[in-house]
Amino acid sequence: MTKLVHDIKLIGNEIPWLKDFRTAGKDAFIGQGIPTAKTEAWKYTKPNRFFANDFTPDLQGGKAPARLSIKLPFKACGIYFENGVFSHHDSLPEGVEVLPLIEAIMFRPDLRDRIGALADIDKHPFAALNSAYLNEGVYIHISSNIAMPLVFINHVSADSDGKMYNLRNLIIVDAYASAEIAEYYCYDGEIKSSYFVNVVNEIYIGQSAALRHWKVQDEAFKAGHIALNSVKVRADGLYKSLCLQKGADLSRNETKVVLAERGAASQVDAAYLMNGWATIDTTTDIEHLSPHTKSLQLVKGVIGGQAKGVFQGKIHIAPHAIKTEGYQLHKAMLLSDEAEIDVKPELEIFADDVKCSHGSASGEIDKEQLFYMQSRGIGKDEAKQILINAYLNDIIAKVDNENIRLWFKSFIGEIG
Amino acid sequence: MATPLLEIEDLYAGVDGKEIIKGFNLTINAGEIHALMGPNGAGKSTLSNILCGKPGYHITSGRVYFKGKDLLKLSAEDRAREGLFLSMQYPVEIPGVSITSFLKHAVNAVRKYQGMPELDTMEFIKILRQEGKNLGLDADMIKRDVNVGFSGGEKKRLETLQMSILKPTLAILDEADSGLDIDALRVVAEGVNALHTKDNALLVITHYQRLLNYIVPDSVHIYADGKIVRTGGKELAMELEQKGYAEFMKEKND
Repeated sequence: MTKLVHDIKLIGNEIPWLKDFRTAGKDAFIGQGIPTAKTEAWKYTKPNRFFANDFTPDLQGGKAPARLSIKLPFKACGIYFENGVFSHHDSLPEGVEVLPLIEAIMFRPDLRDRIGALADIDKHPFAALNSAYLNEGVYIHISSNIAMPLVFINHVSADSDGKMYNLRNLIIVDAYASAEIAEYYCYDGEIKSSYFVNVVNEIYIGQSAALRHWKVQDEAFKAGHIALNSVKVRADGLYKSLCLQKGADLSRNETKVVLAERGAASQVDAAYLMNGWATIDTTTDIEHLSPHTKSLQLVKGVIGGQAKGVFQGKIHIAPHAIKTEGYQLHKAMLLSDEAEIDVKPELEIFADDVKCSHGSASGEIDKEQLFYMQSRGIGKDEAKQILINAYLNDIIAKVDNENIRLWFKSFIGEIG
Repeated sequence: MATPLLEIEDLYAGVDGKEIIKGFNLTINAGEIHALMGPNGAGKSTLSNILCGKPGYHITSGRVYFKGKDLLKLSAEDRAREGLFLSMQYPVEIPGVSITSFLKHAVNAVRKYQGMPELDTMEFIKILRQEGKNLGLDADMIKRDVNVGFSGGEKKRLETLQMSILKPTLAILDEADSGLDIDALRVVAEGVNALHTKDNALLVITHYQRLLNYIVPDSVHIYADGKIVRTGGKELAMELEQKGYAEFMKEKND
């Protein structure tokens, strides 16, 4: 039997669409298998090391739901998951609809063709795996301008060792609507627990709509976290995101944005902070399909110990997508000699009259700056922390909501 | 007699395997101002960097005591916390770190080490604003990032501001006058003089006699080829200005 593929009883198989969807996912995953160093899209990240052990799907939701243990330091509408299973959500602002995905599939057949339309299971083996277990996750529908942030929280606690949690979210932002959604992946069980969180978000942004999408991945240090965000933006719509990855042994946040119509724009930023032996991967794929589309990306990372950071960034500009702008910049700071950074930028430009650029730079902590701080009495470790914070400051500044920005900062360390 | 603040005994040291300091001796007592004058390449900055614990230098032999403690055994941060301060010739820029945040970390690290309670943000800002005002640094400037986009004069004022906040027992001013016009020089010198008491001391490292019109030394040392070749009173600086370094170098070689 293929690793990660297990027969478990899932509800809803009497619905032919759902049964077929799951079967197609399972077949696509078995066909591709767990990526190896030979798989082009995964050649730096080499996930097979993490998957030396098997993981089994778990839909029990943990034994001791800690639904009150997560307190966000700002006013938000929380959507809570315990060990990968939907628990509850706070009362919703007007203009927001939230349904467990399985209910949406059962009672809203009109939504079914949106599920799986953006996440390509033939190119993304973990999206295929996610589809095979399609059960948990939410449908979020935004129909007006929502000021209060929505925060999706998956909280993993005890009894998670060897478990796999597949989460699938469908997010639809109607034309002219706007919202801010944060995802928070956290953990407070047995510190050495090795579990696997596999997320797929399919996000539809309507004409002149806007979504701000923030994410903090702070999993246990032996966990795995793989996420695919597949986004489609219609005319004059905006998708803006920042993902901070700082936990897990194997972590990948992949974002694919299709700027489908004239005037669509995206800003896909990311930060990563890692030491130990972990591998942390940021992969982006921005497709400009129409004229006057614009994309920006800033990715910054700090890698220490024997950890490895991976950045793969692709910008594709279709033949008729003139007057398009695409910019990408990756910067990394290496804290040790054994730390490693692998970078693969790819520009595919098939149109004339476009502006497109990419850049990448890596360096170390500046020794002159470090000595200057020490010469004023600041301890070496504290000085390093201040310099790391300063390095990541400009990327955290991309979060335009001050409360959420401060929340992000709290994961990097204290900064005065 | 009280323990000297600084005692350097027969120091030999250098960088990249090259000996730069060759038999250096100097004693500084509380309340004194010393000037160390020498030509380019004499090793003035090497000496101040070694005293402040900058990595990358080797000590071949000799001893350095600061307030009776073996200075060379202390980390760079502990030297600062003990009360040693280096006003740098070329202060480094630190983008992303505000002066306020930087100095608050510094002052509290020093206070903690010295067993004093840490300052909260309000108390600290009040002190910073007052000291900044004394040095002609406006409130907007202290919100900026450390040295980022500062002119030469602004950098030297910021060094002096740090000195006035940290209140060191021994401050080494490395070419504190380089890049300063006469007005800025006066402001920096007045700032430094205001900090000088009978309990602390200054070591002014300089090229020219100009700064010594404003910060008047008790002793002047002429430094050449890794050691002090002549020591005298403040009039020695005038003599040096007239004769040039070549005269004193020759004297040493005789």
